[in-house]
Amino acid sequence: MVNKEVGGLAEMVRGRVVKRHEPAPGHVELWIHSPVLAKAIPGQFVHVATGGMLRRPISFSRLDHSAGTAAILFQIVGDGTRWLASVQEGVELDLMGPLGRGFAMPDPRHPWCLVGGGVGIPPLLAAATAWTPFLNEPPTVVLGARESALLLLEEEFRALGAAVEVTTDDGSQGQRGTVVGPLAHWLAKHPTGQVYACGPTPMLGAVARASQGQSNVWLALEQRMGCGVGACLACVVLANGQNGPVYRRVCTDGPVFAAEELIFE
Amino acid sequence: MNLEVQLPRGLRLQNPIIAASGTFGFGPEYASFVDIGALGAVSVKGVSPEPWPGNPPPRVWETPLGLLNSIGLQNHGVEVFCHQDLPFLRDTGTKVIVNIIGHTVEEYQRVAERLNAEKGVDALEVNISCPNIKEGGMSFGQEPDQAFAVVQAVRRVTDLPMMVKLSPNVTYPTVIAQAVEAAGADMISAINTVMGLAIDVKRRRPALGGITGGLSGPAVKPVALRIVYEVAQAVDIPIIGMGGINSALDVVEFLMAGAQAVMVGTVTFQYPNRMQEIIEALPAVLRSLQLNSLSETVGLALPGRVPLPPASEDAYE
Repeated sequence: MVNKEVGGLAEMVRGRVVKRHEPAPGHVELWIHSPVLAKAIPGQFVHVATGGMLRRPISFSRLDHSAGTAAILFQIVGDGTRWLASVQEGVELDLMGPLGRGFAMPDPRHPWCLVGGGVGIPPLLAAATAWTPFLNEPPTVVLGARESALLLLEEEFRALGAAVEVTTDDGSQGQRGTVVGPLAHWLAKHPTGQVYACGPTPMLGAVARASQGQSNVWLALEQRMGCGVGACLACVVLANGQNGPVYRRVCTDGPVFAAEELIFE
Repeated sequence: MNLEVQLPRGLRLQNPIIAASGTFGFGPEYASFVDIGALGAVSVKGVSPEPWPGNPPPRVWETPLGLLNSIGLQNHGVEVFCHQDLPFLRDTGTKVIVNIIGHTVEEYQRVAERLNAEKGVDALEVNISCPNIKEGGMSFGQEPDQAFAVVQAVRRVTDLPMMVKLSPNVTYPTVIAQAVEAAGADMISAINTVMGLAIDVKRRRPALGGITGGLSGPAVKPVALRIVYEVAQAVDIPIIGMGGINSALDVVEFLMAGAQAVMVGTVTFQYPNRMQEIIEALPAVLRSLQLNSLSETVGLALPGRVPLPPASEDAYE
């Protein structure tokens, strides 16, 4: 299975930051007024100019068509995100998007589980917000973090009516351990279930292994990226090709891939 | 102002701004962001006879005013290029330069021969300077004898305008330039990326999957200008200059150093529209320097040319 989802048409846009919030230490969420970006599909990303040589790809945490706003939630990891974190309300950002292939709408006839780790959680909130109203029952959400203070967006998922399970590496909140435990448990009970996951690459590898044989498992990936439009071939991941392993582009073939497409080393 | 550039074998560009190979994909990728037909030309990403897989990720790393990359010339081969990408480029109306790569002299020849059969290829750029490939790639651009051999071999099978892309990672770029001129190159493009390394301290190892990479962006501009300036004095064929160009003023620097046209690359990742902005700004920037054409600008800074001082300094006495 290959992701055929096509998102909104990408444009160069300028968008004003209308709200800024720090949901956890070292994490910032910016609400941007941009009707173009607000039409994105959950799982797509925006390429943000930050003053360095390259833009920074960041996926959407919230998409509000009626207000014309899109939010991005990111962790401060280097110069680009440090600059972006310093941006205050009223500042206009130089943006390119929405880019990439997002998540497909989940099939309402089957149970749905969202699995997020750390700063991989935000795009799952956009997905849950967009599609929970159309489902027969609310999704199960498994959220993982290193520690309680770094757990993102738990209240937002609960507000949607989702059944939220939390895991932390140090046991400071929820189950001690990783998201794989609760996911494996859920999969055993829901053999036709569909899984959407986003998080660090080792976590996604573990999700892929735990859900092997299952066909509706979708992973949103992160990779160091150049152009964002498929031209430079920088942001590749190893995938199954027709004649053996091939490198595929996270920016345009993904960032959302079917788990069975990918090869985790 | 007329921005046309007349190059050998009838290659005529509507302006001197060319999208640099490796930064503009195989053509269609930037279509929704750039008016491709407005560019002087597009040099597509390196094309080999068979598909090449490329290097393991991470493939890019930011450095101060630079970008280090180790893509490894991933491409889907000349057959797919001809069927999938070339028809699109042909329809844009821009000039199409196909950057060709190979592991052996014979592989370079095979790509060039295959492209003879296609309409819409306006020129070849023989890439003997990619630092991210172990065999072939840069090794052909390191030794004058090898550079001569590969260029002569390609010359034998094509009548297309042919430029040869030089490596900055040699002691004497002028010697390589003279070798490829003698082998029948119509033009020289310079420079390819400068070999470098970055360390990811968190992982305690080289940052790039390919270990070393090629540096581009404003950090390499002085290196590029120095090589264009030297090569312009060593050969009689036209030079296409590149390396860290971000603005129309940067273009003028390359023209004055001896380039007849330029390629723009790394800045496109951040600002896809920058090439068009440069094309629009170039006439006014030239006029502000009391220059009325491209051709009178080319080589102005080379030794032996008497530069006209700006009027304000003239009026000092």
